[in-house]
Amino acid sequence: MFFIPGPLIAALTFPGVIIHEAGHLFFCRLFRLQVFDVCFFRFGNPAGYVIHQQTRNFTAQFFVSMGPFFANTLLCVLFCSAAFLPVWELKIVDPLAYFFYWLGLSIGMHAFPSTTDLSHLWEQAPGLAKQGNPLAILSLPLAGLLVVLNYGRVIWADLGYGILVGVLGPIALFKLLVR
Amino acid sequence: MSDSSCSSCNAVFPIRSLFDLNGRTYCEKCVHTAAENARTSGLPSAVAPLVEKSICARCNSYMGSDSAPAQIGGLHFCSACAPHIKDVDYPQWLKLGLAALVVLLFVALIHGRKYFHAGRELYIGEHFVEQAKYADAIPHLAETLKIAPNSDKAALLAAKAALLSGDLRTADSALHGHRNGYFDDANDPQFKEVNGLWTRATAAMDKAERAGKLEEQEGQEVAAAKLMHEAAAEYPQMPDLALAAEMYDGGVEFARANYDGYLALGEKVWARQQDAYAAAVLSSGLACKYAVTGDGAYRLRANEMLETARRLAESNPEIMKNLSEYFPRIEHRLSTRQIITKQEYDRRFAKSGGSSK
Repeated sequence: MFFIPGPLIAALTFPGVIIHEAGHLFFCRLFRLQVFDVCFFRFGNPAGYVIHQQTRNFTAQFFVSMGPFFANTLLCVLFCSAAFLPVWELKIVDPLAYFFYWLGLSIGMHAFPSTTDLSHLWEQAPGLAKQGNPLAILSLPLAGLLVVLNYGRVIWADLGYGILVGVLGPIALFKLLVR
Repeated sequence: MSDSSCSSCNAVFPIRSLFDLNGRTYCEKCVHTAAENARTSGLPSAVAPLVEKSICARCNSYMGSDSAPAQIGGLHFCSACAPHIKDVDYPQWLKLGLAALVVLLFVALIHGRKYFHAGRELYIGEHFVEQAKYADAIPHLAETLKIAPNSDKAALLAAKAALLSGDLRTADSALHGHRNGYFDDANDPQFKEVNGLWTRATAAMDKAERAGKLEEQEGQEVAAAKLMHEAAAEYPQMPDLALAAEMYDGGVEFARANYDGYLALGEKVWARQQDAYAAAVLSSGLACKYAVTGDGAYRLRANEMLETARRLAESNPEIMKNLSEYFPRIEHRLSTRQIITKQEYDRRFAKSGGSSK
């Protein structure tokens, strides 16, 4: 097995990093949380970050933490849908389609929230889930799964997620549209 | 590292052994009770090591000896970082970048329109194939192949649909018109299935061709019918083969001078498929019955079926050519009440071609 340094991967997939951090910034501003510092991309670990005001509002916390996950996943499906058919099913050599596939996979690969994002969510979720908060109930299994997947990054779980979403997403979408 | 005191028991401990709960500092002994009290009071009960509050959220440096640390929005910053902290807005380049992304998304979707059309047709075709509606699948898969002629999946699905609906010509064009018959993966189960079907269908067609040649020879009717039945059994998806087998059975009955059996088979074939060949065979059977009984009703119906056969053959020159020798032979039978074989008819009237009895 060969080792590819993280910064190289981040550089090759930089649109995903920027969109992930832009997602954090967007939801911070949507919920009127102060943002103190933003790095949209750098050659380091993490490749990007947003330092923002903490909040006890769980809805705000949920969207700030998980918003980029949903946004990146959705954009990955959309861009890959435009490229999936010519690349995989139709066997048409179209450079633009390959560009869109790279863009989609780059975005999908950086969908996972960081463990810091998830730990903020995890602090409040169990108590609120007991009170019947639907977002907290949703976030418990999701955050648990994402924590495991985050640790799986050492074995390319993030790339695997991008490919899974970029391939299965369009298939599911098209099959749904055909029915 | 500095020391600090527990807000509950007031004892002094090193910062690394203390905890923070809702902005208050506790030692390890007191923090559990404080967390329990917070939980029962409905307050947040998350406990964090105090040392985390001593780390700058921006530069990660230890702030134990910092004279002017700052706390902004629940985060702690060292005195060096604090002046740089401000409420960050969207940078201009990000706004432009996101606008470009939206434009790119539109470009991607518009550029992919023809692929969406081809893909939609492919999935509809696949859906029909899964439901065994093979004939319905063919036009959709043909549409996909117009846009994506190199798609292995579309070509194999089209060939499978065509083979399983008895359309050998479409299957041939889907398989051999696809990159000169080349497919990427010969071990693909779909390829293997289609290859098996194709082999079976071509073997059946070969047998049908040999049966046709045998049937033209006098005294070979039984062998011809047997071979045609084998072809029909080998490729049951082509109903024409089964129909031809029944017509050949009729030929056997004709050769045995069993005109009732010959007529019954003619009726059966006509009931199943009302085309020019079936009409001609039925007319032939009725003409035989007229020849042996002299019953005018048979003659009348034989003429009707002969007209029907001519009308049905009109639109197809190939069928008309195949039947051009058969029609006068039936008319000869009706006018003379003589039943003679094709070979005898050819001898008498010096004609050749065709194969019906």
